[in-house]
Formats: sequence, C-alpha cells, structure tokens
Amino acid sequence: MANFDSGTSGGSRIVRRFRVITIIELSMLVVFAFLPLLLSVVWSADDSFFWIVFTTKVLILSLFGLSFDLVWGFGGMLSFGQALFFGGSGYVVAVLARDLDVSSAFIVIPLSVIVGLILALLLAAFLLVARKPPSLIFIALGSLTGAYAAERLARAWYYLGGQNGVSVTHPLTIGNIELYEGVGFYYLAFGFLFFVYLGCRFLVRSQFGLVLAGIRQQEERIKFFGYQVQTYKVIMFTLGGGIAGLAGGLYAFHEGFVWPTLMGPTYSTQAVLYVLFGGVGTLAGALIGVAAIEFATMFLADYFQNIWPIILGGLLLVVVVFRPTGLVGLLVSERERIGSFRWRGNKKEESGNE
Amino acid sequence: MESVLTIGFNILSFSSIIVLVVLGLGVIASMMRIFNFAHGEFMLLGGYTAYLFYIWNMPIWLGILVAPFVVAFVGLILERTIIHRFYAAPIVAMLGTYAIGVMIRESVRGLIGGLYHQVPEPLVGFFVIGDISVSKWRAVVILVTILVVSGSYYLLKKTSFGLRIRAALENPELARVSGISTSQIYAATFSFGAGLAGLAGAMMVPLFTLYADMGVRFLIQGFLAVMLGGIGSFEGPVLGGAIIGVLTAGLPHLVNPVLADVLVFVIAIIAVKLKPAGLLSMRRE
Repeated sequence: MANFDSGTSGGSRIVRRFRVITIIELSMLVVFAFLPLLLSVVWSADDSFFWIVFTTKVLILSLFGLSFDLVWGFGGMLSFGQALFFGGSGYVVAVLARDLDVSSAFIVIPLSVIVGLILALLLAAFLLVARKPPSLIFIALGSLTGAYAAERLARAWYYLGGQNGVSVTHPLTIGNIELYEGVGFYYLAFGFLFFVYLGCRFLVRSQFGLVLAGIRQQEERIKFFGYQVQTYKVIMFTLGGGIAGLAGGLYAFHEGFVWPTLMGPTYSTQAVLYVLFGGVGTLAGALIGVAAIEFATMFLADYFQNIWPIILGGLLLVVVVFRPTGLVGLLVSERERIGSFRWRGNKKEESGNE
Repeated sequence: MESVLTIGFNILSFSSIIVLVVLGLGVIASMMRIFNFAHGEFMLLGGYTAYLFYIWNMPIWLGILVAPFVVAFVGLILERTIIHRFYAAPIVAMLGTYAIGVMIRESVRGLIGGLYHQVPEPLVGFFVIGDISVSKWRAVVILVTILVVSGSYYLLKKTSFGLRIRAALENPELARVSGISTSQIYAATFSFGAGLAGLAGAMMVPLFTLYADMGVRFLIQGFLAVMLGGIGSFEGPVLGGAIIGVLTAGLPHLVNPVLADVLVFVIAIIAVKLKPAGLLSMRRE
C-alpha cells in the first residue's frame, strides 16, 4: 500500500481521486432518500407500494451486506456464518413478539443489536482468541459450522416453530405509531442504514481502520508493533454481528416471519455473494452488490426460474476468478478503492516534537 | 447383544463412507494446500450418477462402479480449466470452489427437483453369521473402503508414483527442478480426490437418500474431520474421518438425533480449537 503517505504534494491529486466513491455514495443517498416520492409520481399507488416494500427489503439486506463487508473486507476474517447473527436476532425478536407481545421499536431494535453483538462476541471469543493466531480456514469453517448447527436446531425445535418458523403478527410500533410495510418502514430502514453507513465510513477511515488495514497486510508485523491483534479482530467481528443483528430484527418485522434458512449457510452465502459482487473492502460496494443482485433476481428469476441459482453461482465464480474487486472495481481506481487514512493529530504531534 | 453388534456394524459402515469423503478432501488439502468447498457436491454428483442408472433401469452396481470415474473426470476438467488458477491463493480457492459447488448443487436440484430420492441397495439381503445378521451391502461398503484406503496407502508409500507425490508434497520447488511435473500430479490428485467423493456418494445413496442439499452437511463433517486429523499426512484424515463417522453414527443412539447432529459439530470444533494442527500433524511448519 503505497498511499499511506498523505503528503502535501499529493494532496490535490487525492482530493480529485476521492470523487468517484463519494459521487456513488451521494447519488445512492439521493436516490434512496427520494425514491418513495419518485415512485408515487411515476406509478399508481399499488405499483409504487410494491416497489417501496421491495426496496425496504433491499435496504435491510444492505445492512446485512455491510456487516459482512466489515468483517471480511476490513477485518480480514472470512465469516461464512454471518447469517447466524442475522437470523438469530430475527428469531429472538420474533419469539418475543409472539409470546410477550413486545413490538415497541425502542425495545426491539436495541435488543436485536444486542443479540447480534452477544452471539458474535461469543463466537469470536471462541474462534479468534488463542495463543496461536487461528487460520483463516478455521474461522471460515467455525462460523459456517455455527450457522449450520443453528439452522439444524431451529428446524427441529418445536418452540421455534420447526420448519415453518415463527410468524410476526405485530407491526413494529414507535409510541402510538404502528409501522406497517410501506413508506414508514422504508424511512426507518433508510435512517438506520444511513447512520450505520456513516458510522462504518468513519470507523474504517479512522486510526482503528488503519490498524486493521495493517493487520490485513502483515499481521505479524503489527503484532510486533505491540498491537493486540486479536482484540482488534474480535471488536470488528462483534461489530459486524451487531449490524447483522440489527438487520435481522428489522427483517423479521418487515417480512412478518422468520424461518430456519435465515440462520443457515444459504443466507451466509448470500452475504458473501452480495459483497464480492459489489466490491469487497469498499462500503459502497456492499450496497451496490445487494441492490444489483436483489434487483436482478427480481427481474430475471421469473424468466430463468430453474437456472437462476446456477447463474448466481456462475456469477460468483466469474467475480472470484476474474474480477476480485467486484463492480466497484470497474468504476473506481485501485488507489481510491483502498483509500487513505485520516490522522487528525498529525500536525500537533509534529510541532510538539520539534 | 445382537442389536449392539448390528448397531456397531451400521456405525462402521457409515464411518467407512465418511473416511472415503475425508480421504479425498484430505488428499487435496494436503497436496495443493487448498480447501475444496465443492467436495460435498462431488459426492452429490456421484450419488446422482447412481440414481441415473437406477431410473434408466440399468443395474445399480454398474452405476456405483461408473460414478467415481464420472466424478473424477468432472474433477479433472474443473482442475484443468479453473481450479489450477487457485493454487497460489487459498482464499480465492475457497470462494471459487464454493461457487462451483453452488453451480453443481443447483444443477442437480434442477434435475431431481427439491425432493428426496430413494435408490434400492444393489445387494439385498443379509449374511447370517451365528445369530448375527449383517446387511450385505453394508459389508460391501466396508470392504470397498478398506480396499481403497489400503490401495491408496500402497500407492503412496510403495510405488514410484507415490514417491513423486510425496516429493511434490514435501517441497514443490525442489520436485519441479528434479523433473517432476507438479501440475500433472496436482491434476491427478484433484481428480483422484473428486473420484473418491463420487464413490462415497454413490455408495451412500442406497443407504440413505439422495437430496440436493446433502453435500453441505458432508462438506462440514469432512472438513472438521480433516482438521481434526491433521493436514499433510495420510493417516490424519483417515483417523479424523473414522472419529467423526463413529460419533455421527453412534451419538444418535445415545441422545436425541438432532442434538447428536449438532453435538458432533461442537465436539469436533472444540477438538480442532484445542489442537489446531490436528491429532496427527506432520510436525512441520
């Protein structure tokens, strides 16, 4: 990575290079912010309702994609079990809504985040903390095993509805307002995505993100610098779990039910597919990947009903072999994709030393 | 007493199949240092070949005989076209083979539908020894496994081809400069591993059922077994496979089957966590 030097001479060039991703981000922000308005102008109420509901799903899944991107693209841990946190917190809020009539957003949302955080923390503590750093394959396999085991249990556990899952009959409520599918839920999901995205954007460009970038490049060396490498990884894994949990809680209420597949390898793979297709290691890539795949599935799955999953598999293969940088890699230069890191205290420290 | 022996025999036959799966996975993982995430789907393909012979009204034993060669051929083509690009990059290999697995699985799902299919055993009936009766087909499965494992062992340890394989495993660069074509050996190894998966899948289908998602389950079990036994040796994966097989087939007799299924994974992953290099690691870094 040659672009850590944010020297003064290259300053203007970096500013110019940073435009593409920012343009993508801003245009996505504008499109998603005004989409319901736009749809209601273009289409009849029924059609626009359908598209708003569909786009809400895309927004929620974007959170899910973002969580995998954080863990793999920035944390360097291949989590093949991201759906465990997504589906796990979905199940928890669904069961609470069913048995205790809990539907207030002020309880559901924090709870889903906490469930995701706790599940991820437990798994991370088991997989990552060891005297010898765990191999990548162990992390991938361990998380995959976790997701598979959770799906098996949910399938057989009568209390969790077995094969049929749990339906969520309550709408999400904020005070007295009931949020059904539609514009209200759309803006709720949009708001969460917006703030989570901003948070991630800040995080990965902070000094914390710089350490993570170092770990991805040369874990040993960063360790010799005195960093607690495993702690950084556990934090990143846990954060990813929390975001996946948030997505799971929203998804459970939006779709109206949770089912075992939601926790298993299928959805975990879906997250991998989204992010690799969109562009791993760029936050915008995760969102682009989710939108591209979900919309393509929406439009094309009807025409190629039986072979659509095969096409998705082929797509993944093509991306992995020929386009490791994903869709974002087509638009953005390598240098911008990797990015640079803010160091706010730079000038102060230098003057202090002199 | 009799039922205990019968159960023991069933456990043994199931373990044999797992050993075959794991041997294939282990050979590929040791040799090329990549993890083949499509291995479960190679098994599925083997099972599907046997199933095809059944619905075409051809003898099933012929299907089971042909299946490993069909899958080995598919494996060879995949290795030559795609997988040989992955050897330098284990992560890309993992994702790439996973993608290949998805394609195979979904293709088979499209062909057989989302259903469970039953294939009759090619050898029906029981051997009666004293007052114990053992299923003939299960006996054949165990016998074939013993033959394959000892055959592979002989090939690896006693023949000149085996020597070349071990050379390529120990030190690929040195093997190459000594005139051993590692790329050919890699292709042969991959194809052999795929063939073993095909054989395991074909032999398993009459005992259990054929369904599109069976690969995922065996893939996870196989990986845990490989890691449990240790990568890089011949004995490691075989031992790991035997342990996982016995646990998988034995635990349901002791506790609730679903719990047993999950418990096997938990036990195995904890064991791998405690001994990351495997039970029989080659003790070289």
